Amino acid sequence: MLPGGAMPVEHTNHEQGAHVTWMAPRTVAEAVELKAAHPDATVVAGGTFVGILTRQGLLDSDEWISLQNIRELRQMNTSAELALGAMVTHRQIELHPDVATGWPGLRQVFAVVASPRVRNAATIGGVLGDADYASDPPAMLVACGAWVEALSVRGLRRIPVADLILDHYETSLAEDELITRVLVPRGRHHTTYRKLRTRSQEDRPSVAVAAALHDGTVSVVVGAVSGRPQFFPDLCATWVPGRDASVRSVADGYAERIEPISDNRGSAAYRTRAIAVEVRRALEDLTPAALTSRKAAA
Amino acid sequence: MTDPRIRAQLRYPVDLTVPGMWHARLVRSVCASARVTDVDTSMVPEGVVVLTPADVEGLGRYGAQIRDQHILAGIARHIGDPVAVVIAPDEASARAAAALVDVSYEELPAVFDEREALRPGTPLVHETIPVSSSDSAYFGMRPMEGTNICHRFRIRTEGIPQGEPYSADPEPQDADTGFAGADVIVDETFYMPAVQHVPMEPHACIATWTDGRLELVTGTQTPFNMRQDLAVLFGVPETDVRVVVPPMGGSFGAKTFVRTEAIAAAAARWVDRPVRLVLDRDEEFLTITRHAATVRIRLGATRDGRFVAKRVWCWVNTGAYADCGPGVAMKMGYAGVGPYRFDAVAVDSYCIYTNLPPAGAYRGYGATQSVWASERVTDLMAERLGMDPVELRRKNVLVDGDVYCTGETMHDVHFEELLDDAARAVDWRPGGPNPGKGIAVMLKGMQTPSKAEVGIRRVGPDRYEVLSATTEMGQGSAKAIAQLAAELLGVEADQVDVPPPDTDRVPYDTRTTSSRSTHMMSRALEAAVADLKDNGTDHGHGRIANEGGLDLDTGQGVASSHWHQGAASAQVEVDEETGVLTLRRLHASSYAGRVVDKAAAELQQEGSMIMAIGTTLFEEMTFDEGQVVGPNLSDYNIPSALDCSPITQTILELEGAEVHGLGETALPPVPPAIGNALASHGYSPTRLPLIPERVLACAKEPS
Repeated sequence: MLPGGAMPVEHTNHEQGAHVTWMAPRTVAEAVELKAAHPDATVVAGGTFVGILTRQGLLDSDEWISLQNIRELRQMNTSAELALGAMVTHRQIELHPDVATGWPGLRQVFAVVASPRVRNAATIGGVLGDADYASDPPAMLVACGAWVEALSVRGLRRIPVADLILDHYETSLAEDELITRVLVPRGRHHTTYRKLRTRSQEDRPSVAVAAALHDGTVSVVVGAVSGRPQFFPDLCATWVPGRDASVRSVADGYAERIEPISDNRGSAAYRTRAIAVEVRRALEDLTPAALTSRKAAA
Repeated sequence: MTDPRIRAQLRYPVDLTVPGMWHARLVRSVCASARVTDVDTSMVPEGVVVLTPADVEGLGRYGAQIRDQHILAGIARHIGDPVAVVIAPDEASARAAAALVDVSYEELPAVFDEREALRPGTPLVHETIPVSSSDSAYFGMRPMEGTNICHRFRIRTEGIPQGEPYSADPEPQDADTGFAGADVIVDETFYMPAVQHVPMEPHACIATWTDGRLELVTGTQTPFNMRQDLAVLFGVPETDVRVVVPPMGGSFGAKTFVRTEAIAAAAARWVDRPVRLVLDRDEEFLTITRHAATVRIRLGATRDGRFVAKRVWCWVNTGAYADCGPGVAMKMGYAGVGPYRFDAVAVDSYCIYTNLPPAGAYRGYGATQSVWASERVTDLMAERLGMDPVELRRKNVLVDGDVYCTGETMHDVHFEELLDDAARAVDWRPGGPNPGKGIAVMLKGMQTPSKAEVGIRRVGPDRYEVLSATTEMGQGSAKAIAQLAAELLGVEADQVDVPPPDTDRVPYDTRTTSSRSTHMMSRALEAAVADLKDNGTDHGHGRIANEGGLDLDTGQGVASSHWHQGAASAQVEVDEETGVLTLRRLHASSYAGRVVDKAAAELQQEGSMIMAIGTTLFEEMTFDEGQVVGPNLSDYNIPSALDCSPITQTILELEGAEVHGLGETALPPVPPAIGNALASHGYSPTRLPLIPERVLACAKEPS
């Protein structure tokens, strides 16, 4: 169990042998004040990311702010746009019946992250704040036009997810800001998420393609291949549903423009090839014929 | 009674503490090959002790089969080789101080590839190759001084000359090796990379010296080998070393022979206190691996599908220290011949030093690497001959009374039944077509010669205690032994206690490896119970020994006192655009003889198949100039529950037969079954694991 209490708790981290400060505020207001006072503090949400980094010795922080005790951040509201408190877990999103009907793309993407054990702990605020290139949700959140609310003692900002993640582990959040909510507009019912796994079924994607239809256009976003989700609206605008040549040109365009990384899940050359295949398939998933047959199957 | 593991009541070595103990942390080499020129400890705070190579050099060298390892390396032979040990009253201080030890190195040339290491002018990893006198060196070693070969194993059936001394690129001598009668010859080279065991519990031990006597609590599959090797190393009688083995949180071969125990014992003696040494996950990757190996198979057959001759070459990468690599190379050599009849067989298997972390025992012990190659070649031959792969195997497979390439006559062999069962499991259509389906059959030897002893004590009117050195690592040996003893005694299993092995109390057993324990212990228990009933005391003792062994130059003799026999079949789909391979069905059939505990036997079989799925489809240790890449469980994937859904299995039982070991049998046939299934879609895989980009690369017609 995590130590409770709003006030900073001083104790020794036996693992590292260092003196660390663990802060566990109970309200959002307390949290942003602490963040303003301790801009270098590491924020812990579900702990699935910082836990691994700490274990591996890649992260060694003297100051921690845990959001575990802040009940406001666990709220979920589906009455207007989907409003998800930063501490809502992947599993809650996956299992919520209103999400399944109103935001099926989100249900799909959160259901394929790692294992239920991880999904029960990992949060939506955490996965965006980490800005880890290999996570599933960011691509879909960009495709669905989602925003985050970032709060600080200076006030509230709304940032499109597309502008939040800048590069590997780098966001546009100011050092005193916390993600408090994620907002996903209604109306993007026709979505697809293609997760290409190259290793275990619990692995992160080698290539992830999220696509969403809205107002007659499509947003195709490729994730897990470089520092940030890759979205090219100009290419998407050339798409003519059902026409093979157009589908291929969008797919090849994505493959040409993206400079993928090489890692244990695939070389850059492999990813370039897979991007062309999976973008094409994502667009094929969203042709009127495919959507009709999907509806019939449901 | 609920399994104590489920209730978290079991105390593993990693959970144990001794009051007053200190904690050790290792300082590891950052160079793949280097002389340690200085260990600067001036930054280390007072009250923390550092041992350097010079402090322990006088104790000499140890090693299971070759005595090639110092307690701390004055010459580091791989990245991660322990070069100093820091001992402190608490773990955090030891950890912090280890980072403050400044080691200076003089870099030396290094070699990483097993075949590269054989080429003229390659640096030698070891100047000399002294054979160990340990019981672990249970067969004759053939080190080749002045090379990187620490052991070479050969099979030559009658009339075949000894042939080339050694080579990385041998020229086949068909006329001399029995291929004259072959109409068709298939020759292909295969590769399997190093992988990690990933036991959930890391290596953990506590060493204590009291009155000149060493007590060691550790997770090991080899308590008596450990006792002997540490006694020699520290210059004390064997009776002055006590090894206690609590149940382990998994091992799979990783916890065999001396791993961290020599360092812990040296540290404990130095500070005159108990010392605990537990490894981090990344250190596991530096401590022991499965042998990477290149295996070349040349198979000759007549046009109607009769196998005539086989030539096997194995280049076995044992890393910086031999450990039991010579044994692995031997078993890789003969398992590569496969369960078939031949007129002529020649095998050369080389155990080769490189500057990579040491490789050792791993479930499937040598068979996995060569069965991958051998059974892929069987399918290549079927393709060349235009024959059904199952039919080709049936035609050549060993049956009772046949003579194996080692000269031993086979008995109690069931390869035909196993093959048929595996074929049935994937609805194999005789004569085909069988798109997406693959099959494989194999044999694997048990350690031979081998000894086992066991004691039984009557400790109350209706209670018994079994004194056995068989170690528990999750395989359920204690339960199986209790059950076997209860049956023989005519009591219930809960009237029989099987305490963890303690070398002060239990009689000698070779070791808990090689799927030998249930087989050997069942027979030793029969003798012990008979003794108890006969001798009129409260103590019975049973001792059995399997004789055998192979001639060092011809590989003739008795390779295995009984054979582990298995087959597997697979059905796969391939996304030809992305190379993603999806396993639809995976079946293993193993011969078990008499089954002691059906549920436990099935779990063993499933465990083998799951490890096989991981190492066939995606597990691979990769190195960058000797530096292991991503030694953690995010970068190194192991199978998840979702990867295991297509598993089915058969355990072939035979009333009245001997108990056969089952711990590993279902692993080696799985990679070629999957590889052959992939090949049926138009691919020619030679290299594992079958990650998507490697699948694309081996497409016969690139899409």
